Amino acid sequence: MAEENPMDPIHQFAIKPIVSLHPFGIDATFTNASLFMVVVVLGIAGLMIFGTRSRALVPGRLQSAAEMAYEFVKSTFDMAGVHGGTRFFPFVFSLFLFVLFSNVIGLIPYTFTVTSQIAVTGALALLVIGIVVVYGFVHNGAGFLRLFVPSGVPVALLPFIVPIEIISFLSRPVSLSVRLFANMLAGHITLKVMGGFVVSLLGAGFFAILAPLPFVMAIVLTAFELLVAVLQAYVFAILTCVYLNDAIHPGH
Amino acid sequence: MGNGGNGHDDGPQIHGEGRGSQRHENESRARDENVLRARLEKLTDALAAQHREERETALDSQERETSSGAPGNVLSLAFRVMSEFVAAVLVGTALGWGIDRLAGTSPTFLIVFLLLGAAAGFWNVYRIGTEKLGAERK
Repeated sequence: MAEENPMDPIHQFAIKPIVSLHPFGIDATFTNASLFMVVVVLGIAGLMIFGTRSRALVPGRLQSAAEMAYEFVKSTFDMAGVHGGTRFFPFVFSLFLFVLFSNVIGLIPYTFTVTSQIAVTGALALLVIGIVVVYGFVHNGAGFLRLFVPSGVPVALLPFIVPIEIISFLSRPVSLSVRLFANMLAGHITLKVMGGFVVSLLGAGFFAILAPLPFVMAIVLTAFELLVAVLQAYVFAILTCVYLNDAIHPGH
Repeated sequence: MGNGGNGHDDGPQIHGEGRGSQRHENESRARDENVLRARLEKLTDALAAQHREERETALDSQERETSSGAPGNVLSLAFRVMSEFVAAVLVGTALGWGIDRLAGTSPTFLIVFLLLGAAAGFWNVYRIGTEKLGAERK
């Protein structure tokens, strides 16, 4: 087991403390996960600050990237039809960029994928649902509860429909967080396993001629993971828009 | 349209050819003008057609990006359907288990909420389906 350790596909997700911090008895240790969250935030801030610094009419590469990111999220936001919810655009934009940068930076070898931790994706999903619930009640008052009572349903069916709607609502943060986390986890494990195959085949004498097969597979999977990384950030953002829309206009 | 009318006016002039140099000059100038106008019109039409085409392809690619056409989107849709269904069943089961634990009525609510969770899962999937249809009809 000990010699297999370097090829252990789960090993990459281990949380390692870097600076031990315990203020007021709370475990706030700075770990590799925290480090990469800082890296992600610095990356986003760098892109936006340096990208918008020159404000040239003909954008340079960095400005172009910043503008494309903005326009992409803006079109997604408008397409999801969050009417009267422009105040949520900065939130959706930050969320999208955080997930996107975490996913993409995590694809670089020797980095840590923040979004492969369900604690992180769960916190993000709870933040979204928390905003939906709080804003829904503040904006609509008790009318927000209409979300659980679809219009045009016979009264006799309501005892069945209302619990189903409540479960459906409660399942949103679960599916939102599990989807992102599972995609990242599964993708990185698959990559690691393929890489492990290459190493073990190279050390298997005659069968070393088969080693290029998993190697090619690993290359294909890397491209595929890049697609998944962007796609999952997009899905996270668009579902956030859909849920926010429910908070603004309950009763569909 | 205007060009067609002009072409018609040209007819009698052609019949009166050879009457005099003045007439001839007038006629040739009119013909030149007509030819020029025809070319201009043709060019305008071609430009408009090109613009329309460009806009259509831009719209098309935008639609392909946003609708379920691209393989990546199909993949994410499939994963979304699966996770929504599983999440609803899990949440329903957990709720039932929790109520049972609090009320000590095991396993009544577990069973009831498991079924409700499955129903909520189907409801989630149905909603994704109608949402997609609505987006396409738009």
